[in-house]
Amino acid sequence: MTADIGIIMSVLLYLLPSLRERRRYLLFELMGEREIDKRELMKEIWNSIYSLYGDVGASESKLWLIKYHRLEDRKEEESTLIVGVLRCAHNKVEEVRASLACIHTVNDARVGIRVIRTSGSIKGASRRR
Amino acid sequence: MPEYFDLNVHAYPETAAPVEELLRVAKRYGYAGIAITNHDEAVVPEPLESNTVFTGVEIHAQSVVELKRKIKRYWGNVALVAVHGGDDKINRAAVENPKVDILAHPCGEKGESGLNHVLVRYAADNGVAIDFNMNALIRSRRGDRARVIGKMRDNLKLVRKYNAPMILTSHAHSIYDLRAPRELIALATLFGMTKEEATSALCDTPQGILEKRWKKERDVEVL
Repeated sequence: MTADIGIIMSVLLYLLPSLRERRRYLLFELMGEREIDKRELMKEIWNSIYSLYGDVGASESKLWLIKYHRLEDRKEEESTLIVGVLRCAHNKVEEVRASLACIHTVNDARVGIRVIRTSGSIKGASRRR
Repeated sequence: MPEYFDLNVHAYPETAAPVEELLRVAKRYGYAGIAITNHDEAVVPEPLESNTVFTGVEIHAQSVVELKRKIKRYWGNVALVAVHGGDDKINRAAVENPKVDILAHPCGEKGESGLNHVLVRYAADNGVAIDFNMNALIRSRRGDRARVIGKMRDNLKLVRKYNAPMILTSHAHSIYDLRAPRELIALATLFGMTKEEATSALCDTPQGILEKRWKKERDVEVL
């Protein structure tokens, strides 16, 4: 009996496709003086978006960090390179892009962020070309 | 594929960033070329001339007389003459001089002064490009940034009215200060620039400045 309720609840809680939010996934690249922790980066991104668009604008952006990892095989110099995927609302891509561009330091380590490409799916954003 | 140029980058010996490093990152970000415009106290020792790196100078002067003397010294020797703006008298002297290519950050690094219709009309006549310094927008927060964005909005209105050339630059002092073209365009939309205007401020106008497109012929032939 309990199992049936579980199934019924899961069907009811399933959001209709038409009600689902449309999203964009941004593949970004971060070049930093040192390795940046996921948590410090997200804090800095939120700070940047609050300062640029305020609380209302930040709430509309629906930001979420999906993937985050450091690129290891770099023969070049000292700067570390991190790539990640960030999710946002489909009509807020330019706003998020501007907020990412406004980040210049994370806990006193200088960083530069650039968006490599945007896509409607995680797969599309993280695909190698 | 449009060719993007960043015409205000500061390299070694003014800053710690070597030219090759900056160029490598800029290429990775999708730029066709950059211009190294160190301040005149620390110009790049050997002139770098190629299709991707241009040598320029950003003249820092305290008085109009000093500015004129320095323009005379550098004009013809470097590909790009920019003037470190911000002071009202310096701004005026820069836009009145057809030898100047770029008036860098005319509203100062923190938006403390500004342009007016007379200056922008001179700039349009003499082909002096008005620079929008995106680094000021990236670095400042709260009140400072609100002031900078406000000034840029005013400047944009004047530039549109008189059809003066305008460019977007990063004023990068290290590889971490460089921003990709799409990011600069997104920042430019914050103060009301359209995407088309911003794209041309990064592609077409910089190319025109390097070719001296808005200069009268007598100025060009000396170069």
